[in-house]
Amino acid sequence: MSAIDELLKIPPYRTSPGQHDELFRRAVSESIRHHCAGCPPFARWYRRQGADPQAPVEDLARLPFLPVTAFKRMRLESVESGAVVRLLKSSATSLQTPSSVALDAITRDRQMRALAILMCDLIGTRRRPFIVLDAPPQGNAAGSDVELSARAAGMRGYLMMATETHYVMQPGRDGPVLDIPRLREVLRELVTRQVPVCLLAYTYMLFRHAVEPLERERLRFELPAGSFVLHFGGWKRLEAQAVSRDRFNAGVARVFTMNGAPQATIHGAMQGTTHAPPIRDIYGFTEQLGVIYPDDGFGVRLTPVYSEVIVRDPFTLRPLEPRGCAPGAPGLLQFITPLPHSYPGVSLLLDDVGRIISRDVGTRFEVQGRARGAEIRGCGDTLPERVYEVRS
Amino acid sequence: MSARVTVLFDPRGAHIPPDGDAAAGRESATVEELVSALRHAQEPLRGVPLDDLLGLLDAAAQEWIRPGHPVAAVIAEIGAGFLPLWLRRANLERVCDAALRGNRAAADGFVPISPGSPRLHRAQPRGLLVHWVAGNVPVLGMISVVQGLLSKNANLIKVSHQQGGVFPFFLEALSRVQYLRSDGATIQGSILTDAVRAVYASREDAAAARALSLAADVRIAWGGREAVESIMNLPRRFGTEDIVFGPKTSLAVIGAESLGEEAAARRVARRAAQDAAALDQRGCNSPHTLFVERGGAVPPARFAALLSEELAALSQRLPPPALNVPEAYRILGWRAEYDMRGEAWYGEGVTWSVFYAEDDHGLAAPCYGRTLFVRPVDDVFQVPLLCSIHTQTAGVAVGERRLALAEALTARGIERCTEIGAMSVYDNPWDGMYPIDRMVRWVGA
Repeated sequence: MSAIDELLKIPPYRTSPGQHDELFRRAVSESIRHHCAGCPPFARWYRRQGADPQAPVEDLARLPFLPVTAFKRMRLESVESGAVVRLLKSSATSLQTPSSVALDAITRDRQMRALAILMCDLIGTRRRPFIVLDAPPQGNAAGSDVELSARAAGMRGYLMMATETHYVMQPGRDGPVLDIPRLREVLRELVTRQVPVCLLAYTYMLFRHAVEPLERERLRFELPAGSFVLHFGGWKRLEAQAVSRDRFNAGVARVFTMNGAPQATIHGAMQGTTHAPPIRDIYGFTEQLGVIYPDDGFGVRLTPVYSEVIVRDPFTLRPLEPRGCAPGAPGLLQFITPLPHSYPGVSLLLDDVGRIISRDVGTRFEVQGRARGAEIRGCGDTLPERVYEVRS
Repeated sequence: MSARVTVLFDPRGAHIPPDGDAAAGRESATVEELVSALRHAQEPLRGVPLDDLLGLLDAAAQEWIRPGHPVAAVIAEIGAGFLPLWLRRANLERVCDAALRGNRAAADGFVPISPGSPRLHRAQPRGLLVHWVAGNVPVLGMISVVQGLLSKNANLIKVSHQQGGVFPFFLEALSRVQYLRSDGATIQGSILTDAVRAVYASREDAAAARALSLAADVRIAWGGREAVESIMNLPRRFGTEDIVFGPKTSLAVIGAESLGEEAAARRVARRAAQDAAALDQRGCNSPHTLFVERGGAVPPARFAALLSEELAALSQRLPPPALNVPEAYRILGWRAEYDMRGEAWYGEGVTWSVFYAEDDHGLAAPCYGRTLFVRPVDDVFQVPLLCSIHTQTAGVAVGERRLALAEALTARGIERCTEIGAMSVYDNPWDGMYPIDRMVRWVGA
């Protein structure tokens, strides 16, 4: 059995320091060898970083890191194109072009297994009804059979834990609109049945299209006992509106009343403290789909056995580690996972900034958002479209 | 006109340190008060002979290159080594002569329109110049202010939040300069700087922006596209002149004749590295793409390697200033791409990068951080086809084809053709004009 398959058979979170680290490094080495054999550009890049694809990975901090924008710039695949069953398109954020990630059956299977294990750890093994704060997918909105938007793929992954799915928004001219009568009807029925639910939403949509309108209308809804809220997709658009996590959680708790302590609703490693709200922010990204990082209610996340995170100084590129009890300095986040098989997404440097809180049992870390800098706009700042194409 | 702005420099001196935060300045005044004070201060300046002003600036240039002088340290830090050279009398005399129809005496009084002509003309200052200076290259703004003073105008400078303290620092240093005239009279730098105020107002302060614009007889805008567009969209008085510097990008063209042997190619590479390091590629005159002609003894890919060695050595001697995080990340993306599909050379950390691929063509989008894209061409005369009004300077190393290439490049939009290594040197014409000419009214008698 490969080390990667072994990883997927063990409990998802460590229970002692250093547990499974050797297995993880073996799986990463295996993954590097596979991608170097199957993806010549990746192999070329890897060797140019001074690394030997055949050498076992001993120190993760020295593992070369590929900026995730590489998937926006080039089509990188480690399998024959005939093996590709899905093409994921991420949102176009850092560059104008979206990221394109090819999935084969092996990658898809690993991702689904990892996601299922992590979701079970988070919400328990009993599936439950999901109320989705989004409009139901229509026609080709979710993409063709092969091509799938990362947004649709993300949602689809979480919904495998659902016994039933209720979409409570309708498409509107300026984005989805909360269908309040429908939400009221769905909740009335679920409360009557006393079935705990999961309220699932994109972070931005939950706040902008549900919390804010409901606050304005002074409406609140009681969720069945033991229910909780999961949201994902990032904070970029809310940061622009200066919405803090505290404000977000308070707003959600104000409009959706949730009875029951978090321990009764959130399971496993990310239970958090007794004061933690039953609201979890899930961090993840298209290029390493399947590995998710729910927070503990306060923004701190924990790496599962399938991944490791390193924080790098954006200028020197050196790792920024915690010192004693003090968290490490903030820097660019590098995520390492051996799960991707069809594309070389094994060690990726993101343009998200975060910091390591501790490395006691697994790595606890925070994500602080997209890297930002003072806008330096000089007289050399011409429009990108005015400086022509970059290559043939 | 009652909008208030933060005053960072006035006749009492600079009110923030060179590395200070412009937004944290504590002095403030209304735009109306500043304009009134400046119009008063312009009167004595009008009466000073241009020769005295040139003498003062020459004295500043000599003082500012003295080892250990605080201004010399700041000049080195911001990579503005050409400024003292530009301020030398001989250079400024040429600048004034070129802009003032060949006779700089026109700045002091009426002179014949042409030698022997009974018709007279002179250059009268337009009045109040308002300069919007780009945060990344404050030293270029200094150049427009000096020309504003040589044309005997009052100058109100709106500095950027970034590096907002640099300008006041230079102005205070200039105010302290003394020039000993040949007749024994001492001229104080304050005669120049009394006619200058440096101010800051937040980008969101629409009232201040509007007031500054309405006060101007000439609006001078340096900066990126967004900044310049927003300035030009402000209301102005009828008859107000606009001078826009930027936004543009620049390039270099290296012909096969300059690549006849490795030592010669290395010399060109060294000078190109200097051009990239000056202003740290923030200026519209900074190179980002180097077009290298095939057919020389040193092929384009080898030239790129030589360039990387020179850039590495230069960055050891003169470490680059910090980028911002998104810029650093963007450069890492380019490194990965060229490591995969071409050639990439780079230093440890994000300090400099050189990229090359055999099939690249076109101009690269500016990446900053001493990042140079080397692109092969079969013929240097293919490069003009890539030029437009958005390209400014072409550093060229093409031997005897220089003038023919300059013809072709400038016909397509390039505004300066310089030797490689001299791209960062501010000279005239600039952005298609002689700026002093635009700062004066030509009047006849």
